[in-house]
Amino acid sequence: MMKKKTLPNSSSQEPNLKGTIISVSIVGFIIVASWFAVFGLFLSR
Amino acid sequence: MHLHKYEKWWLIFGVGTLITFLLILGYGAFYLGTHPQSHGITIDPQEIEAEESFKPENLGLTKVDEGQYVLNVVASAFNYDLGTDEEGKPVKHIQIPKGSTVLVQAVTPDVIHGFNIAGTNANMMVEPGFISSMEVTLNKAGEYTLLCNEYCGSGHHMMFATVEVTE
Repeated sequence: MMKKKTLPNSSSQEPNLKGTIISVSIVGFIIVASWFAVFGLFLSR
Repeated sequence: MHLHKYEKWWLIFGVGTLITFLLILGYGAFYLGTHPQSHGITIDPQEIEAEESFKPENLGLTKVDEGQYVLNVVASAFNYDLGTDEEGKPVKHIQIPKGSTVLVQAVTPDVIHGFNIAGTNANMMVEPGFISSMEVTLNKAGEYTLLCNEYCGSGHHMMFATVEVTE
Protein backbone atom coordinates (compact mmCIF):
# COMPACT_ATOMS: atom_id res chain seq x y z
CA MET A 1 0.00 0.00 0.00
CA MET A 2 1.19 3.43 -0.84
CA LYS A 3 1.67 5.92 1.91
CA LYS A 4 -0.78 8.70 1.82
CA LYS A 5 0.99 11.93 0.94
CA THR A 6 0.21 14.82 3.20
CA LEU A 7 0.14 18.32 1.85
CA PRO A 8 2.64 20.68 3.46
CA ASN A 9 0.77 22.49 6.12
CA SER A 10 2.23 25.67 7.58
CA SER A 11 0.82 25.09 11.03
CA SER A 12 2.15 21.57 11.42
CA GLN A 13 5.57 22.06 9.81
CA GLU A 14 7.84 24.50 11.64
CA PRO A 15 10.82 25.79 9.70
CA ASN A 16 14.15 25.02 11.30
CA LEU A 17 15.43 28.37 12.60
CA LYS A 18 18.23 27.07 14.78
CA GLY A 19 20.94 28.48 12.53
CA THR A 20 19.10 31.82 12.42
CA ILE A 21 18.84 32.18 16.19
CA ILE A 22 22.51 31.27 16.58
CA SER A 23 23.61 33.80 13.94
CA VAL A 24 21.52 36.67 15.29
CA SER A 25 22.60 35.83 18.84
CA ILE A 26 26.23 36.14 17.78
CA VAL A 27 25.48 39.58 16.24
CA GLY A 28 23.51 40.57 19.36
CA PHE A 29 26.34 39.48 21.63
CA ILE A 30 28.88 41.50 19.63
CA ILE A 31 26.67 44.62 19.89
CA VAL A 32 26.09 44.21 23.63
CA ALA A 33 29.77 43.40 24.29
CA SER A 34 30.95 46.46 22.34
CA TRP A 35 28.48 48.66 24.24
CA PHE A 36 29.93 47.50 27.55
CA ALA A 37 33.48 47.88 26.21
CA VAL A 38 32.81 51.52 25.21
CA PHE A 39 31.02 52.20 28.50
CA GLY A 40 34.01 50.77 30.37
CA LEU A 41 36.29 53.05 28.36
CA PHE A 42 34.14 56.03 29.34
CA LEU A 43 34.24 55.11 33.03
CA SER A 44 37.97 54.45 33.08
CA ARG A 45 38.96 57.77 31.53
CA MET B 1 -0.51 35.17 14.13
CA HIS B 2 1.88 32.31 14.41
CA LEU B 3 5.40 33.08 15.53
CA HIS B 4 8.25 30.64 15.75
CA LYS B 5 9.60 30.12 19.27
CA TYR B 6 13.00 31.57 18.32
CA GLU B 7 11.39 34.60 16.74
CA LYS B 8 9.62 35.26 20.02
CA TRP B 9 12.93 34.99 21.90
CA TRP B 10 14.56 37.46 19.56
CA LEU B 11 11.63 39.89 19.72
CA ILE B 12 11.69 39.77 23.53
CA PHE B 13 15.44 40.45 23.44
CA GLY B 14 15.00 43.33 20.99
CA VAL B 15 12.15 45.01 22.85
CA GLY B 16 13.94 44.39 26.15
CA THR B 17 17.06 46.13 24.82
CA LEU B 18 14.97 49.09 23.68
CA ILE B 19 13.36 49.44 27.10
CA THR B 20 16.73 49.05 28.87
CA PHE B 21 18.34 51.79 26.79
CA LEU B 22 15.36 54.13 27.20
CA LEU B 23 15.66 53.66 30.97
CA ILE B 24 19.42 54.33 30.83
CA LEU B 25 18.75 57.45 28.75
CA GLY B 26 16.11 58.67 31.19
CA TYR B 27 18.36 57.96 34.18
CA GLY B 28 21.22 59.87 32.57
CA ALA B 29 19.10 62.81 31.49
CA PHE B 30 16.77 63.28 34.44
CA TYR B 31 18.70 61.88 37.40
CA LEU B 32 22.32 62.51 36.48
CA GLY B 33 21.55 65.70 34.54
CA THR B 34 23.48 64.76 31.42
CA HIS B 35 22.96 67.23 28.61
CA PRO B 36 24.67 68.52 25.47
CA GLN B 37 27.74 70.61 26.32
CA SER B 38 26.30 73.76 24.78
CA HIS B 39 23.31 73.59 27.09
CA GLY B 40 21.41 76.62 25.92
CA ILE B 41 23.82 79.23 27.33
CA THR B 42 24.19 81.74 24.55
CA ILE B 43 26.81 84.35 23.74
CA ASP B 44 27.14 86.90 20.96
CA PRO B 45 29.89 85.42 18.76
CA GLN B 46 30.84 88.93 17.60
CA GLU B 47 31.44 90.09 21.15
CA ILE B 48 32.77 87.18 23.13
CA GLU B 49 35.01 89.53 25.11
CA ALA B 50 31.93 91.09 26.64
CA GLU B 51 31.62 87.91 28.70
CA GLU B 52 33.80 88.05 31.83
CA SER B 53 35.21 84.52 31.36
CA PHE B 54 36.44 85.24 27.86
CA LYS B 55 38.21 88.53 28.38
CA PRO B 56 41.82 88.10 27.16
CA GLU B 57 43.20 88.25 30.72
CA ASN B 58 40.85 85.49 31.90
CA LEU B 59 41.72 82.98 29.19
CA GLY B 60 43.63 79.85 29.97
CA LEU B 61 43.88 77.86 33.16
CA THR B 62 42.90 79.49 36.44
CA LYS B 63 43.07 77.86 39.84
CA VAL B 64 39.91 78.60 41.78
CA ASP B 65 40.41 76.28 44.74
CA GLU B 66 42.52 73.32 45.86
CA GLY B 67 42.16 70.80 43.03
CA GLN B 68 39.64 73.02 41.25
CA TYR B 69 40.46 74.74 38.01
CA VAL B 70 38.69 76.66 35.28
CA LEU B 71 39.95 76.52 31.72
CA ASN B 72 38.61 79.25 29.47
CA VAL B 73 39.30 78.77 25.79
CA VAL B 74 38.52 80.71 22.66
CA ALA B 75 38.67 78.39 19.68
CA SER B 76 38.99 80.16 16.36
CA ALA B 77 40.22 79.28 12.90
CA PHE B 78 42.86 77.96 13.45
CA ASN B 79 43.98 78.41 17.01
CA TYR B 80 43.14 77.71 20.63
CA ASP B 81 43.54 80.88 22.63
CA LEU B 82 44.70 79.77 26.06
CA GLY B 83 45.90 83.18 27.16
CA THR B 84 49.46 84.46 27.31
CA ASP B 85 52.36 83.72 29.62
CA GLU B 86 54.47 86.27 31.58
CA GLU B 87 56.48 87.07 28.45
CA GLY B 88 53.36 87.71 26.44
CA LYS B 89 53.71 84.58 24.35
CA PRO B 90 50.59 82.53 23.61
CA VAL B 91 50.19 79.56 25.90
CA LYS B 92 50.29 76.24 24.05
CA HIS B 93 51.12 73.96 26.96
CA ILE B 94 49.16 73.79 30.17
CA GLN B 95 49.91 71.81 33.30
CA ILE B 96 47.26 70.45 35.60
CA PRO B 97 47.97 68.41 38.75
CA LYS B 98 46.63 64.87 38.70
CA GLY B 99 43.20 64.37 40.24
CA SER B 100 42.09 67.96 39.67
CA THR B 101 38.64 68.86 38.49
CA VAL B 102 38.66 71.22 35.54
CA LEU B 103 35.67 73.18 34.35
CA VAL B 104 36.26 73.76 30.65
CA GLN B 105 34.44 76.69 29.06
CA ALA B 106 34.89 77.21 25.36
CA VAL B 107 33.51 79.60 22.77
CA THR B 108 34.18 80.41 19.15
CA PRO B 109 33.75 83.64 17.21
CA ASP B 110 33.66 81.96 13.79
CA VAL B 111 32.76 78.40 12.85
CA ILE B 112 32.09 75.12 14.62
CA HIS B 113 35.19 73.68 16.28
CA GLY B 114 35.85 70.68 18.42
CA PHE B 115 37.44 70.53 21.85
CA ASN B 116 38.95 67.16 22.58
CA ILE B 117 41.64 66.25 25.03
CA ALA B 118 42.51 63.00 23.30
CA GLY B 119 42.43 60.00 25.61
CA THR B 120 40.10 61.65 28.13
CA ASN B 121 36.37 62.25 28.31
CA ALA B 122 36.86 65.95 27.59
CA ASN B 123 35.20 66.05 24.21
CA MET B 124 32.71 68.58 22.98
CA MET B 125 31.62 70.75 20.10
CA VAL B 126 32.20 74.47 20.23
CA GLU B 127 29.47 76.27 18.31
CA PRO B 128 29.29 79.98 17.51
CA GLY B 129 26.65 81.56 19.70
CA PHE B 130 26.92 79.08 22.56
CA ILE B 131 29.16 78.60 25.57
CA SER B 132 30.18 74.95 25.67
CA SER B 133 31.16 73.75 29.09
CA MET B 134 31.91 70.51 30.84
CA GLU B 135 33.65 69.41 33.98
CA VAL B 136 36.33 66.75 33.78
CA THR B 137 38.52 65.10 36.37
CA LEU B 138 41.95 64.17 35.09
CA ASN B 139 43.11 61.15 37.04
CA LYS B 140 45.90 59.80 34.88
CA ALA B 141 49.21 61.62 34.67
CA GLY B 142 50.66 62.09 31.23
CA GLU B 143 50.80 64.33 28.25
CA TYR B 144 47.62 64.75 26.26
CA THR B 145 46.89 66.61 23.08
CA LEU B 146 44.10 69.11 22.98
CA LEU B 147 42.83 69.11 19.44
CA CYS B 148 40.03 70.17 17.16
CA ASN B 149 37.97 67.21 16.02
CA GLU B 150 35.39 69.08 13.96
CA TYR B 151 36.67 69.95 10.52
CA CYS B 152 36.83 73.75 10.56
CA GLY B 153 38.78 74.66 7.43
CA SER B 154 42.13 74.46 5.71
CA GLY B 155 44.12 74.95 8.93
CA HIS B 156 42.12 72.46 10.97
CA HIS B 157 45.15 70.25 11.58
CA MET B 158 47.08 73.16 13.08
CA MET B 159 44.62 73.56 15.94
CA PHE B 160 46.21 71.85 18.87
CA ALA B 161 47.82 72.42 22.24
CA THR B 162 49.29 70.20 24.93
CA VAL B 163 47.74 69.39 28.27
CA GLU B 164 50.09 67.86 30.79
CA VAL B 165 48.66 66.12 33.80
CA THR B 166 51.40 66.20 36.41
CA GLU B 167 51.91 63.85 39.37
